[in-house]
Amino acid sequence: MNTGPYSDPAVAEFINGNFVPVRTECFWERPTDLMRRFGIQWTPTFLVHGPDGKEHHRFVGYVPVDDLVAHLRLGRAKILYDTDRHGEAIPHFEAVLSNHPDAGAAPEAAFLRGVAGYKSGHDPKELRRAYDLLSSRYPQSEWARRAEPYSAIPL
Amino acid sequence: MLGIRWDTDFLAALGKARDAGRPVYQDFWFDG
Repeated sequence: MNTGPYSDPAVAEFINGNFVPVRTECFWERPTDLMRRFGIQWTPTFLVHGPDGKEHHRFVGYVPVDDLVAHLRLGRAKILYDTDRHGEAIPHFEAVLSNHPDAGAAPEAAFLRGVAGYKSGHDPKELRRAYDLLSSRYPQSEWARRAEPYSAIPL
Repeated sequence: MLGIRWDTDFLAALGKARDAGRPVYQDFWFDG
């Protein structure tokens, strides 16, 4: 069960220390209730749920260690963000950016960090800073394009 | 080496998550 990225001791320690991990087997000929409930169409599919079972983050397909841990950190941040704990979410988004700057999840973390900053402090400069970060570090990402309207906010 | 301590029952995992105040990480896999 602990092959690929899961064989990395640091990954195991991170998952054991921050999540309740569960592996759910899929059967394409007779889809299970969980496959139907979460609309699983391909494997591997990875979900991060709040303790109430609600899905907050999903990624599909094999990911190497750095991307996997970045997605897990992002999922943890999105649980806080989605439940209006924007100030608490900020350090978790920043942890994605500082620990995994080259990961696929980083641009989304940068965007949502800006929004969480704005929503927690009502300072529109947080959105402009998110745009500046995205346009300089991740200019090819969709998240940079989504943040483009914030370029007009004065610093 | 300490490996990942996987659960295989989602509902049981949710119960542990509520008790521990932690999120659940669910890996849907296929033994093809």
